[in-house]
Amino acid sequence: MRNIRLISRLDIKAPNLVKGIQFEGLRKLGDPNEFALKYYLQGVDEIFYTDIVASLYERNSLLDIIKQTTDNVFVPITVGGGLRSVEDVLAALRAGADKVSINTAAIKNPSIITEISKKFGSQCMVLSIQAKWQGDHWEAYYDNGREHSYLDVVEWAKKGAELGAGEIILTSVDKEGTFKGFDHDLIRAVTDAVSIPVIASGGMGKLEDINTAVNYGNADAVAMASVLHYNHHDINSIREHCLNEKIPVRKVSSIGMP
Amino acid sequence: MINQKNVQALYNLPTNVEFCKKCTISNQRPRISFDENGICSACNFAEYKKKIDWSIREKELADLCDKHRKNDGSYDVVVPCSGGKDGSFVAHMLKNKYKMNPLTVTWAPHIYTDIGRKNLDNFIRIGGFDNILGSVNGSVHQKMSQLAFLHMGDNFQSFIYGQTNFPIKVAVQHNISLIMYGENGEVEYGGDMKNAQQPTRDIKDHDGHYFSGKPPEFWVEHGVSKSDLYPYMPPSYEKIIKNKTEIHFMSYYHFWDPQENYYYSVKHTGFESNPERTEGTFSKYAGLDDKTDGQHYYLSYIKFGIGRATSDVSHEIRDGKITRDEGVLLVKKYDGEFPKLYFKETLSYLNISEELYWQVIDSWRSPHLWSKIDGVWKLNTTVWDIK
Repeated sequence: MRNIRLISRLDIKAPNLVKGIQFEGLRKLGDPNEFALKYYLQGVDEIFYTDIVASLYERNSLLDIIKQTTDNVFVPITVGGGLRSVEDVLAALRAGADKVSINTAAIKNPSIITEISKKFGSQCMVLSIQAKWQGDHWEAYYDNGREHSYLDVVEWAKKGAELGAGEIILTSVDKEGTFKGFDHDLIRAVTDAVSIPVIASGGMGKLEDINTAVNYGNADAVAMASVLHYNHHDINSIREHCLNEKIPVRKVSSIGMP
Repeated sequence: MINQKNVQALYNLPTNVEFCKKCTISNQRPRISFDENGICSACNFAEYKKKIDWSIREKELADLCDKHRKNDGSYDVVVPCSGGKDGSFVAHMLKNKYKMNPLTVTWAPHIYTDIGRKNLDNFIRIGGFDNILGSVNGSVHQKMSQLAFLHMGDNFQSFIYGQTNFPIKVAVQHNISLIMYGENGEVEYGGDMKNAQQPTRDIKDHDGHYFSGKPPEFWVEHGVSKSDLYPYMPPSYEKIIKNKTEIHFMSYYHFWDPQENYYYSVKHTGFESNPERTEGTFSKYAGLDDKTDGQHYYLSYIKFGIGRATSDVSHEIRDGKITRDEGVLLVKKYDGEFPKLYFKETLSYLNISEELYWQVIDSWRSPHLWSKIDGVWKLNTTVWDIK
């Protein structure tokens, strides 16, 4: 069975790491590089950076942060937020990103998924979906959980996979920042529909929330933010929990930290 | 035909539009003042706030609570609250930290949004509060909203009467001498600064600050009967005084940070943000309970060139949440966005035609702010054009 990846998600509003609840009320938490380094030293599998206000301000200000992070963080880094063209993607990769994640640009122009995937490989093209429950289906949102796309999440995920996305990061707008657990029905609905890996994101509170995301939702990875930033759990204890629960994760001891 | 209003004279607005150097508010906000460096009173107050020793204020609040506290199980403080993040914070703090026994009072919106109603229900159930919901005769409320739209260019005025007077009425009825509001808008957002150093609100200011010089009884001459107006009226002045009623603002006693109130209310009272961006601004956690309030903010944009985004941006800059450059971008992107989501429903509520609606809107455009260029209304001066 594949290893479940533990990913720390870092929302950026340059120059700060920020975090909201349901993508609202962005609190400044500090220097993103310090957080990235901390999680790396705890043994996180991947870092997921997203410029959370890039589309709102029509800018992308992550490149300097990525350059700094790659100096001392040696796990795969995914970068998203405000990437609108193949050139933007190239710039992010040159700055040190291993993968890019695309939301707004893909909703507005789905063919960009194919372009990126053809040019840089599908493993590089992560489709980011912000999903909100609408009573009988999930709708994909953009602009930091603010704007409707009117796309059905499951259909959009299928289409994204067909167009060449190598992976999906699936964030629940309803659960994001709430510590109430992942939206496991959402995760399950998408993993049932696509064969590419799906990262569960939004809502991690208790350690047991991972069990549901993986065992019921069939998530391939879990992305965590508030739960790490506010020190509810650290990567070590999360990994230990997974091993105890027979959830396959990479076996590492924390790197360097006493 | 609707008569053109002299907006500048009505609100005493300066002819030359200037924007605060620190935030994005302009000198067109009624009663705001700018200092010699071009900084608005609200920004100066935001700086002043940082220097306040809040532990002293906290002690003042504890003393205030002790003064009004009742130990017989009856209510000892009225907290006006819609179920939004700010009032929820105030009520929950008073009850749990200061061990008061609040009676929360809600003045019903014109037309509830689903999320607004859900938040009030959550506030009562999850937050754990007794609540009185003031709902007036719906057809009178509609009529009042229509009249206020036609005569004052603000469909929200009838709501403001109740929001201001209803909590006082409940306080008098229940012999509660303390009313605790959230923030003092005049001080926090720019206005008359005489209250910056004091925790209370002067009832004498109500007509001028909240009712634009037209108290509820003004509408008698427009055919609203005295009995229909009764719910909008404050108790008699003698009753207010006899009850020893004091109106205080939590923002005097506790560092006022709407974003932190959001975190607090999500945690303690089950508050949820809007399921989408609120029209006319970038946020989704403020002013989300009434379907008709988008028009209230839109009219402010027409009258003063100050829309919802400008107001939100300005206090987020003051609170250190965003930079001025970011704020200017947001104003350019969202300010004055037409509130179309509930437009038809609002027109039908106001019982006016779309044609009349636009006549009224245009009658509030002052030439010192607006010009019609190639058939399209444009603001003469914008914050993003000023270098």
